[in-house]
Amino acid sequence: MTQWQASASFELIRLRADTLRTIRSFFYKNNVLEVDTPTLSSATVPDPFIESFQTQYVPLMQTMQTNHFYLHTSPEFPMKRLLASGSGSIFQISKVFRQGESGKKHNPEFTLLEWYRDGWDHLQLMTEVDQLLTLLLSPHLDLGETRLLTYEDAFQEMLGINPHTANKKDLLDCTEKTGLANVLDEHEDKDRFLELLFSHIIEPALGKSNKCEQSNKPYICFIYHYPASQASLAKTSMHKGQLVAERFEVFIDGMELGNGFHELNDAQEQRQRFEKDNQTRKIMGLKEIPMDEYFLEAVGALPECAGVAVGIERLLMVMSQSQHINDVIAFPFDRA
Amino acid sequence: MASYSTNEFRSGLKLMVDGDPCSIVDNEVVKPGKGQAFNRVKIRNLKTGRVVERTYKSGESVEAADVMDTDLQYLYNDGEQWHFMHPETFEQMAADKTAVGDANLWLKEQDMCTVTLWNGNPLAVTPPNFVVLTVTDTDPGLKGDTSGGGGKPATLETGAVVQVPLFIAIGEELKIDTRTGKYVSRAKG
Repeated sequence: MTQWQASASFELIRLRADTLRTIRSFFYKNNVLEVDTPTLSSATVPDPFIESFQTQYVPLMQTMQTNHFYLHTSPEFPMKRLLASGSGSIFQISKVFRQGESGKKHNPEFTLLEWYRDGWDHLQLMTEVDQLLTLLLSPHLDLGETRLLTYEDAFQEMLGINPHTANKKDLLDCTEKTGLANVLDEHEDKDRFLELLFSHIIEPALGKSNKCEQSNKPYICFIYHYPASQASLAKTSMHKGQLVAERFEVFIDGMELGNGFHELNDAQEQRQRFEKDNQTRKIMGLKEIPMDEYFLEAVGALPECAGVAVGIERLLMVMSQSQHINDVIAFPFDRA
Repeated sequence: MASYSTNEFRSGLKLMVDGDPCSIVDNEVVKPGKGQAFNRVKIRNLKTGRVVERTYKSGESVEAADVMDTDLQYLYNDGEQWHFMHPETFEQMAADKTAVGDANLWLKEQDMCTVTLWNGNPLAVTPPNFVVLTVTDTDPGLKGDTSGGGGKPATLETGAVVQVPLFIAIGEELKIDTRTGKYVSRAKG
């Protein structure tokens, strides 16, 4: 096969079209408004583990004065500005861009479905995510019953430790037992250890059929109530005496499909989290990111709401049982 | 010391892992939507041939292994070592039993082999995919049997024993696939 041709089969190019149509009808039926927000933005996320593409705006006939812009890594900030302006529930399907993310399950440019439910919390939104995913996946996969597990339950069930109370020594022992010793330095943050164990041991088993245990079929699996230190843009609350993030992720067949929050609407708290992200960036030797003041002002006016982003390519991979993301993208990064 | 960053990882790249030279068989990026990225790699230990899984934090650097493949001509075995020669520079090199391993069953004088060098010393020897070897011992050939239906063992000049059709006789030259250790055909000419 030559490089100018599509790497996805026409069957999968058609599956993408059908999937996008089904998603749109689902939201039209539920009275969720489709919106369109900018790809180029003057600010971006300070998350130390997400890097944005950067570009310059050059006014015509002038090369001296240029303005710096970022390609969005998700439409989250402008969508929340719409919600804060009174849009009500909204959805968007857009191309997003992330530096360095290239592999079997990653393409630096990918398609994200993101939606927000005005007045809902993360638990209500999880029910809707389950409905939409079941609608999309059931014609292709014989699905088992959906499972909901707290982050703590997942660690207890698969590794026998409590992620909230475990100390560094417990985590070091756990990485040793699971063949992941020496991946991280001892002095690294506790969250890095939790991420290592989660991504290598827990995630591959989530939503996967297993003959002896919960399901002999692949199933939709929600993990919720992450440690408060991994809250990102989610509210935090007390749960069984533990401060947790009102955040969830959804998995099927060992693959992460989406991430959702009961959205933080405390502007001061949001600013502090961004500043902390920038401090972490500094320690890691990364460039600090300018604060998105438009967004930070809007956060204070954000209604109670929950939002989620789902990767369309990952969804198509599960639907078609594809092993590589290039199978579901017409022209992936190496042919773009 | 040369090293590779995880973003240069690809199949075939040679790394030093736990003091041994290894080759990447498979590289997968593990990157949660939120949080630290890792590279999960399958690597083959070039000394033992064993394949193991390893995880590196993305952005980390790993020491490169000075490993390269060279095409050398096999000269002779002195009882302890196998001697090879570069066909153009005539430079000679000796490999020990560990490096030669099972390849000794297929090494015929004058044949070109791939010798993998680590820090300039032979680490592994790969014989050509096909070799022609003479039968030194086998049961008498059955005249007229060309069906190849049955089989019998035959000892070759290198000491290797392969299953051959019944019609093969002592002194015949056979083409052998060294990857499977199986008889392919009588050598032509």
